[in-house]
Amino acid sequence: MRSRSFLVVPSLLAAGACNTPFPAPIAEGHPGDATPRRGGTLHLGSFADIHGLDPAVTSDDLAASIIEELFAGLVDYDASAQIVPDLAERYETSDDGKVYRFFLRQGVRFHDGSELTAPDVKRSIERALHPTTPNPAASFYDTIAGYGAYTQGTAAHLDGVVVEGRYVVAIRLRETDARFLSVFALHGLRPVCPSAGDRYDDAWQPCGAGPYKLAPGDWDRGRSLRLTRHEGYFRPGLPHIDAISWTFGMNRASELYAFEDGALDLTHDLGDTELQALRADPRWAPFLAPEPDRIIDGEVMNTELPPFDNVEVRRAVAAAIDRDHYRAYKPESLSPNAQALPPAVPGFDPRFDGQHYDYAAALAHMAKAGYPYDPRTRVGGYPGVVPYYLMRQGSTEYTAQILAQELAKIGIRLELHLVSWPTFLSLAYRRGTVAMADPGWAMDYPDPSDFFEALFSSKAINEEQSTNTAFYRSARVDDLIERARHELDREKRMALFTEANHIVCDDAPWAFTVSRRLEDVVQPYVRGFKPHPVWTFHVANAWLDRASSASTRRELGQAFPPFLRSARASAAW
Amino acid sequence: MRRSLAFQRFVANRAAVAGVGVVVSLAVFAIVVPWVASHDPWTSDFARGVAATGGPVGPSRDFPLGADRIFRDELVRLAYGARLSLLIALSATVLSSLVGGLVGVASGYYEGRAPDMVLMRVVDVGLAFPFLLLVMAIGAALGKTSPGTLLVVLGLTGWLGSARIVRAKTIQIRSADFIAASRALGQTTGQILLLHVLPNVLGPITVLATLSVAQMIVAESVLSYLGAGVAPPTPTWGHMLLEGQDSVMMAPWLLVAPALAILTSVVGFNLLGEGLRDLLDPGRAGAR
Repeated sequence: MRSRSFLVVPSLLAAGACNTPFPAPIAEGHPGDATPRRGGTLHLGSFADIHGLDPAVTSDDLAASIIEELFAGLVDYDASAQIVPDLAERYETSDDGKVYRFFLRQGVRFHDGSELTAPDVKRSIERALHPTTPNPAASFYDTIAGYGAYTQGTAAHLDGVVVEGRYVVAIRLRETDARFLSVFALHGLRPVCPSAGDRYDDAWQPCGAGPYKLAPGDWDRGRSLRLTRHEGYFRPGLPHIDAISWTFGMNRASELYAFEDGALDLTHDLGDTELQALRADPRWAPFLAPEPDRIIDGEVMNTELPPFDNVEVRRAVAAAIDRDHYRAYKPESLSPNAQALPPAVPGFDPRFDGQHYDYAAALAHMAKAGYPYDPRTRVGGYPGVVPYYLMRQGSTEYTAQILAQELAKIGIRLELHLVSWPTFLSLAYRRGTVAMADPGWAMDYPDPSDFFEALFSSKAINEEQSTNTAFYRSARVDDLIERARHELDREKRMALFTEANHIVCDDAPWAFTVSRRLEDVVQPYVRGFKPHPVWTFHVANAWLDRASSASTRRELGQAFPPFLRSARASAAW
Repeated sequence: MRRSLAFQRFVANRAAVAGVGVVVSLAVFAIVVPWVASHDPWTSDFARGVAATGGPVGPSRDFPLGADRIFRDELVRLAYGARLSLLIALSATVLSSLVGGLVGVASGYYEGRAPDMVLMRVVDVGLAFPFLLLVMAIGAALGKTSPGTLLVVLGLTGWLGSARIVRAKTIQIRSADFIAASRALGQTTGQILLLHVLPNVLGPITVLATLSVAQMIVAESVLSYLGAGVAPPTPTWGHMLLEGQDSVMMAPWLLVAPALAILTSVVGFNLLGEGLRDLLDPGRAGAR
């Protein structure tokens, strides 16, 4: 008996070393048959939670996936991130780019049965931009004529939104805005049911014209939510799936087990090690679906605080980081990135080697900055200690430690300060507070303006909640961003952003490090699903095709809990 | 003669001997491993630490306990973590025993009078707080957590229980005949406390301190696990446990190693403490 207890440790170690295998996927019912089937409930889960579903005030990623199913827009992003008419049958743009005229489909029904008309569009836009509505993205729409007067409360209506007929609505801009349609396709201004009224109200039951509706009582806040098919959806035959059920606040491990068990149909919360095991398993590899690379990470250097007020120090940092070392930490989801845009955003140039690892150059920049460092004697470098802020238990906890190693090699000492997520949010976006941090930036809409305007324009500098967290100011970059806003010719516009990209890489307010991508894992019986380039879990075109009516592996008689598998693996060893 | 008897009694207690063995092994591990290891605990090895799958290598010749998430040697980090954990736990224990001993003796000697009333109410209030919550609150208030602040925080919050016990022991001794005799001989309060009371409460303090080391190790690990301990890259067992948890499915050694280290050291110090109690408490020995 006694000797057995000593075997526990090597067995546990071996269980890990053997890379615990996943069970075989639950099969689809009709392989090779691409005819969509109607019915079933799609089960989704997340470790995160949602705080609201009102399109006028909600901006988090998870809620966006749900809002996309509840609220259709006049225009929307299609599966290749192109803007296409949706509730509008078509739209026209005036030659000067200042008037957008939308012709609505006739007979579109909201979830409450009422018909969508042009006054609903105007009411919804005014509701979303009303001064009492806490809309975090209101400034996206600041070029609509009359925006200033309306949002300051001096005008009762938004002049720029004009009802031109029962099914025609025009939006007039005060100046040409090349990105207007890109932001109009987002959720903020989407039509809401007449029950929403013309003012934001916390207690409103979400109701729109999307493919799914939310019945009263179907949202158990903090726990779960159930969407059911909107039978009056304007696209005939869609959606195929009867209902979507969400579980929030799941522990990541239980998410994995639920997915293995077939109780979850789709997840993007798996860790790198699980993804590696799935990718290596030929039975599972086809069911991994990468989401677009639309998040950039970088070491943001506060250009108003020492030592990063010295451009040479920033250049030294940008050259001292070996991006492959960052990637090694999470090879499944991180890719080295040397520029201001991630690969999924138009304007990203795969040939542009903006910032790259060059140790000799990094040392030269340190010398130019007045802090020469001798790596052999380890003498010199920046005499102070640079405080680096990061949130607990995020992946920056690891990348920050890699960064500290890289910067020690050029004579910059980092001191890591771990803080909670709310503290990080309040500090990192406050002026004059944090010298260095990696808050990252995720794409809101697929256009370079989303990155350059938010991160590198001096207009985005604020005392609090500054999205320009480097507090970077460049007259040239400001001018390029402004010109790009008014440039309707796509090629010329992209050339302006390319130039801005080059300047930003050289001025190095950020040391760009990696782009980040999530990976969806889909059960084989979820058909017709592809991660949406903007909305991630948009499933209106997907269908379920299970081999059996049983919904979980347990019901299928294939119970095989993961810990048992570990035990078997170690026994084999 | 007495000494050899005590020694024999201690040696006869196999659990106590095992406790000594564990504690000595820990000390040797903490001192020797970083000294002989080819890696240092802060530097990633992107060449040898990466397995063919792209993840950290498992237990192997280069990395006896595998590599951690950013390819540092888990064994060396564990040994450095042992240094830090033991250093913090021992220093905090010395501090808390000192404070607890002084408060307990003073309070017991002045039983029922103003100093006792005040000190014991402080202890009551302190004991009413959940220990870890109190430590975390102080840690959060201090902002930056270094090993120094951590040991001070643990030391200054860990004395409450021992103060109570030392007070009870002091009350017992104070009413003994030899104290009355020394008072009659004209010894001052200071002399009585120093020469008669303190030597008699030293035994319980030592036992409490040994048991307290185990408690401090756990407290330090919990704080680090919750992210309120020493900031990375400094290796601590609690933080290594937290890091290991992320990869438990595929790299369980990163979780098992620090967990076993904490478990072993706590068991070791507890065994040692109980052995010392049996040795130093004449009442218990007599009962055998």
